[in-house]
Amino acid sequence: MRIVYNWLREMVPVPEDVDTVAREISLRGFELAGIEHGREPVIDFEITANRPDCLSHLGIAREASAIWGIPLESGSRIPAALEVTIEAPDLCPRYCAQLFQVKVAPSPAWMQQRLEAAGVRPINNVVDITNYVMLEVGQPMHAFDFERLAQQRIVVRRPRAKETIRTLDGADRSLDGDMLVIADAQRAVAIGGVMGGADSEISASTTTIALESAYFDATSVRRTSKRLGLKTEASARFERGSDIELPPAAIVRATELFIQTGAAAPLLPMIDRYPAPRQPRQILLRSSRIARLLGQVIPTEDVPRYLRPLGFDVAPQNGQGEWRGTVPSFRVDVAREEDLIEEVGRHYGFDRLPVRFPTLDAAQAPPDPTIARDRLVRQTLTSAGFSEAMTFAFIERQAALPFCAAGVDPTAIQNPLSEKFAVLRPSLLPGLVDSCAHNRRRGRKDIQLFESGSRFTPDGEGRAVAFAWMGSATPPHWSGGSRTVDFFDAKGMVELLCHVFGTKGLDVEPRDVSYLVKGRTANVLSSGTALGVFGQLAPAVGEARGLVAGEEVYVAELDLEALARVAAGDDLRAQSLPRYPSIVRDISVVVDETLPAAAVRGTIRSAAPSTLVSISEFDRYQGKGVPEGRVSLSLRLTFRDPERTLTDDEVQAATERIVDALRVAHRAEQR
Amino acid sequence: MSDSQIAALRADFERDLATATTVAALRGVRDRYLSRKGGLVSGLLKNLGSAPADVRPRLGKLANDLRQQIETQLDERIAAAEADRPPAGAVDLTLPGRQPALGHRHPLTLLRERIESIFSRMGFLVIEGPELEDEYHNFEALNMPPDHPARDMQDTLYLAAPVRSAAGSPATLLRTHTSGMQIRYMKQHRPPVRLIAPGRVYRRDNLDLTHTPMFTQVEGLVVGEAVSLADLKGTLLVFLRELFGEERKLRFRPSFFPYTEPSAEVDISCAACSGSGCNMCKRTGWIEILGSGMVHPAVFEAVGYDPDRYTGFAFGMGIERTALLKWGVEDIRLFYENDLRFLEQFPL
Repeated sequence: MRIVYNWLREMVPVPEDVDTVAREISLRGFELAGIEHGREPVIDFEITANRPDCLSHLGIAREASAIWGIPLESGSRIPAALEVTIEAPDLCPRYCAQLFQVKVAPSPAWMQQRLEAAGVRPINNVVDITNYVMLEVGQPMHAFDFERLAQQRIVVRRPRAKETIRTLDGADRSLDGDMLVIADAQRAVAIGGVMGGADSEISASTTTIALESAYFDATSVRRTSKRLGLKTEASARFERGSDIELPPAAIVRATELFIQTGAAAPLLPMIDRYPAPRQPRQILLRSSRIARLLGQVIPTEDVPRYLRPLGFDVAPQNGQGEWRGTVPSFRVDVAREEDLIEEVGRHYGFDRLPVRFPTLDAAQAPPDPTIARDRLVRQTLTSAGFSEAMTFAFIERQAALPFCAAGVDPTAIQNPLSEKFAVLRPSLLPGLVDSCAHNRRRGRKDIQLFESGSRFTPDGEGRAVAFAWMGSATPPHWSGGSRTVDFFDAKGMVELLCHVFGTKGLDVEPRDVSYLVKGRTANVLSSGTALGVFGQLAPAVGEARGLVAGEEVYVAELDLEALARVAAGDDLRAQSLPRYPSIVRDISVVVDETLPAAAVRGTIRSAAPSTLVSISEFDRYQGKGVPEGRVSLSLRLTFRDPERTLTDDEVQAATERIVDALRVAHRAEQR
Repeated sequence: MSDSQIAALRADFERDLATATTVAALRGVRDRYLSRKGGLVSGLLKNLGSAPADVRPRLGKLANDLRQQIETQLDERIAAAEADRPPAGAVDLTLPGRQPALGHRHPLTLLRERIESIFSRMGFLVIEGPELEDEYHNFEALNMPPDHPARDMQDTLYLAAPVRSAAGSPATLLRTHTSGMQIRYMKQHRPPVRLIAPGRVYRRDNLDLTHTPMFTQVEGLVVGEAVSLADLKGTLLVFLRELFGEERKLRFRPSFFPYTEPSAEVDISCAACSGSGCNMCKRTGWIEILGSGMVHPAVFEAVGYDPDRYTGFAFGMGIERTALLKWGVEDIRLFYENDLRFLEQFPL
């Protein structure tokens, strides 16, 4: 709201300069948007949604009056035949109107200057005076060309079926049942509280006007304005709640201005339709409650001093420290005791309130386990060289589709900002792929990124962690030995993530997903619970997002909630260390290259005695000395008995049984 | 053999000695001058017989002196060079080490964890909740009934169709703040309450230097029988000074939020100009850092707390905005581009 400094001072003679006035008012909850020093100094305040009464010079003048303890000038800015009928009193509880005989002409220079300073373009004396009154006291008004109202009637009603109106801005608008129109005997001539109609607009030839000053229901104006996409100075005021006592007073003020400027003379008395007058709201205000909320005892004599200049009537009640506050009609935001306490606090000054610390009177509950879980995930991944990415939860539909299950559509946003943010991500991977492409375009080849966050499916929201890895598997070094990342780097990282949660019995199984390379894609499970998927990103998916063809990218995505479900509990028991030595045997067998290592391990387990404690692959070789289609697999077997020292003979016998079993089951030959 | 020959030899030796720095080079110098066969000084001595007899003793002494000096100087230099030579198996210490790969936490995580740790020490519980919300938890329970003008303050992103939610009724929108979680918590727990709820929130803001349609927020809530605005001031003072430095000043300005009454916006004194006014603070000396207030009684009524018995305060701040201020980041979009050159600037 642009407040013209001299206009304000006309209403409250504040003995301070522009900057001081701006600062003091801004410290009471009206954020300063700017100050213009000039011939007509202007202070621009942001008015919060709860204070429609301050969308006027009068509202700010009341604040100034409370700040400097200077009464409002004369209290005067506010001082009652046309037929008016209200058919929709729920949407328009009060409607005032006054006829004037007018001479349409430019308004006087001083008025034009003030309007311009306040940000309104001068048009003619009639329109200018309605705007002037709106800016001064906050009441939007509208002037109709009286001769163009059919049968000289005004009917305030809901629109008829399929009714339309051409508004002042020249647009044809169709109206519907929940809106409110001002109509003459035949048709709508204005949309109540939003905009007038073109048909009854004031023109140079207008001689008689009907000036409207009404109270419109805030919710109705708000809905209408939203539905029509039409926001006006009037709708902005009505939709936040206006002052029901103001319409007649605004007509009195307009009349004064019409006479003063010689623009018009009133005809006949004012019409004021107000079928169900409202009683002012009364609120009990307790000194004890003020102290409890603000943390400071405010002297009882000060409380009325803060409230009265703001328009509240404050009467002592029940002896010391209690008042009955009567809320002025323009303070639509004040409904309960706390609202009055805020008024007291504002004018006492928040900065003067003491500084304390809330007392602790109970132990704190343990934190949300998801916090520690996510922290562990981040620690594990950063320790392994992954940097944390954060990407938007909404993405392009095209980027999301490859990551949706077959036949499933991504969750769409009804009112997205743009096509780039149209759907909620079904996976964290599209964002990571884009982040990889961003870095790759800037010349970075070795990229390790992860993100943990929410992903969205028709089943709702879930938490996941995902990583993407391309380029070198290890940091570059002058000694060489660098290697490009491969499937087993990704698998190792997945295993590590499961390991830090203490997850036991990890299985992988082949899987087909559209965004990963077939044969290099695996599901990871623990005791039947699916934890996620990992593998090589399908080149087409990466290239579509700007990655370089031929550069392999490995990705994984794990469901954090599933991971937490299969995590080890807090019931760990430490095992005593083995008391007897273990014996190690290495075997090398040649098997078909398509035989999974897991099958070899399974056969070994079933043929081995219980003293076999571990099996680990330490070499896999194809080439010279190994027939085509076959592979040499070397395994290290560790045997140990918890109760005694094993003999070489029994370990040798066990190893031979194992090799025999491999021969029978897999045509394995020992090398 | 003459005086001048001896002097020339001495000069040659001095020059050769100066350029020889390694043990091998020094040994070469020794051979050149002192070797029995072909050494320059040895040769000189062998030629002594050809000198006239009257000068022979004097020249003999001069040549012998030269030989001894050369021997002494070479011995010293060779000993010194041997002491300097790296021991067997020595490596070039100046080559780069082999660092294990180490990634960086995102700066927003870094700041969020720091904020969580400050509040944890003050006895605050940290809770998280769903990002998809329903109208009730995002608006209605927070004193924002349908058509409330304050809903315009937070332009909301809605889902095209409701989505199942583990948190209860179907979700219809992307939460505009984390307050919904506070409503859930209060419905399940009696006071006292002392918590913070960090998380991602969404608003229909266009992407520019200072706005992103998704950002990270931390909200706090304290409820008890004697919680006042003075406690809010004290809590935020401790928090903001720990985060931004002890010398920072705070200013509380009245404001409006539907879910708090009274409401206050909190400004922090500008670090760039120490309050004298600069571009960073739009020449005011103050920078807005968070919104706060005393919990509105309508919110207590919505969760079944007696507003006459309990009072409380709440506050909320954007982590991106705080990060911009704390680290002098010029463009908020950098937080979401994940450029490794940006991420790697922040401490681990």
